[in-house]
Amino acid sequence: MVSIYKEHDNVLLVKLDIKEASLENGDAFKTEVIKLFEKYQKSIAIDMSAVGYIDSSFLGSMVSAFKHLIALKSELLLIGLSKDITNLFALTRLDKVFKIYNTFDDIT
Amino acid sequence: MAIHKPKHIMLVDDDQLFLKLIEQVFKKSGFNCTIAPSAEAAIELLKEGAAPDIILSDYEMLKMNGFEFRRYLMNEPLFKDIPFVFLTFFSDKDLVEKGLDLQAIDYIIKDTPINVIVSKVNNILFAVDKQRELSENEIKKAAKSLNIKSIPVKPPEIKEFKVDFWHQAYQDIPGGDFIDFIKVNDRYSFIVLGDIMGKKWMAWFFTFGFLSYVRSAVRFAAFNKEYSTSKILQQVNSIICFDEVLKDILSSLSLLLIDSETKRITYSGAGDLPLLHYNHEAGDLSMISSSGLLLGLFEEGNYSEKEIILKPGDRLFVFTDGMIDFIDKTGKKSDYNQFLKTLNPFMRKENNFTDIAANLFSNNLSEQVDDRSIISIYKN
Repeated sequence: MVSIYKEHDNVLLVKLDIKEASLENGDAFKTEVIKLFEKYQKSIAIDMSAVGYIDSSFLGSMVSAFKHLIALKSELLLIGLSKDITNLFALTRLDKVFKIYNTFDDIT
Repeated sequence: MAIHKPKHIMLVDDDQLFLKLIEQVFKKSGFNCTIAPSAEAAIELLKEGAAPDIILSDYEMLKMNGFEFRRYLMNEPLFKDIPFVFLTFFSDKDLVEKGLDLQAIDYIIKDTPINVIVSKVNNILFAVDKQRELSENEIKKAAKSLNIKSIPVKPPEIKEFKVDFWHQAYQDIPGGDFIDFIKVNDRYSFIVLGDIMGKKWMAWFFTFGFLSYVRSAVRFAAFNKEYSTSKILQQVNSIICFDEVLKDILSSLSLLLIDSETKRITYSGAGDLPLLHYNHEAGDLSMISSSGLLLGLFEEGNYSEKEIILKPGDRLFVFTDGMIDFIDKTGKKSDYNQFLKTLNPFMRKENNFTDIAANLFSNNLSEQVDDRSIISIYKN
C-alpha cells in the first residue's frame, strides 16, 4: 500500500497506492507508516495523488500516525492532495494540522 | 433498497492457465476477483490493501505452499479472519485434517467442476454472512436491553424554535455518529452532534465515552451558570486527551446553545463540517465555519464561539460527513458543495424537514458510504 519513492537526509518520501482510502485499509496504513518510521527514524512525506476518496476512519488512522510521529519529534507530511480532499481538509481544519505540499520538490 | 456489493474473492494459484479459467468463471458469476500467481504475491496484494471477502488458495505451490500461506495469515491480525478455502488435487485425509487445523473453512478438491466450486464458495459466503448477522443481532439485542442509545428517540421541544433530526446508520449497524439534546431549563438548551472517526460497532462503543464527557461538561457549565460552548468543548477535549481509553480515538463535535429568551444561538465546533444557514428572506444557503480542531487531537483545541441569529423562516443545518459523501462514475467522493446544491432546491419550496430528509437522497447519488446525520433548527 505504501511504497518508498526516495530517501532524503531528513525525510522519507513515500507513495500511497490506493484509490479509496477507507476503514478497510486504515489500520494497515498506520502500521506500515509506523514500521517505516521505526526503520528509517525520520519524518515521512506521503504522496496522496492516487487517492480519490478518504473516509473518516482512514482520516482517523492518518491523524493517529501523525500523533505517533509528532510524539517522537518527527512529522507526517502530505503531498498532492486532490481538489476534493484539499477541500475536506480545509472544511474540517485538518489543513491546520498537517503540513501539505504540492510536490516532493516543495519539501526537499 | 440496500444495494448488494459484489463479493470479492482472491484466487491464489501458480497454475496460470487454471487461474485465468477460474477467474473468468467467478467473474461471470458476479464476483470481483483479485488473482495472485503465488502466496508471496497474494501477501503483497493484501498488504497493499486488497480486502477480499474470501481467499481460495491452491495447496501445491512453489516456495510458499498453501499451508504456509494460511499459517502466515493466521499470525496477521488484519488477515486472519478472512475466510480461507484450500483448493488441491490431493484428497489425502491427513492433508484435509491439517488444513482444518489451520482453521480453513473448507477444502475443495481441484478437479471438482468449476461451477460446483463457485456454488460452494457462494454457500460459504452465505453462511459467513448469516453468522455475522446473527452476531450483530445478538449485540443489538444486548445494547437494547441495556437501554443505551447514541441517537435520541425524538427531537426536543424548544420555545421559539422547531428542532428536527434525521439519522441513517451505515449498513443498518450503529456507528460513530451521536446526537444529544440537553434541555437545561426553559431558557437554555444544548444541541450536540458528534462523529467518532471509525465505522460500525467499534465507533459506536466509543460514542458513550464521548457523550458522557459532553453531558458532564454541559451540566457543570449549567450548574456554574457559565454558558460558553467553547469552554465546554475545551473542557471535553482536555479530559479526552488524558483519558487512557479515548486518547487515540478522535471525534468531531458541533455544540450549539439555544437561548429561547434572547433567541440567539451560540455555536462552537471541533473538526466538524461548517453548518449551513438558510436565510429565508434572501433565499440562500451560506456556510458558518468554526475554528476548533477534532476532539482528542491536541490538548489545545483552539475552540471559538460564533453567535447565530435566525430570523423567522430561517433554518440552520448541522450535519456529519456522511451527508457529503457521494458516489459517481469515478467512484466515491466527499463533496460539500454537491450537498449544498442537493439541499438548495428543497429550501425554495415550503418543505418541512420530514420531506427534505425523505427526498434528499432519492437521486442516483444515493448509495450510502457512512452514517448520515442531520439536525435542522427552524426559527418559528
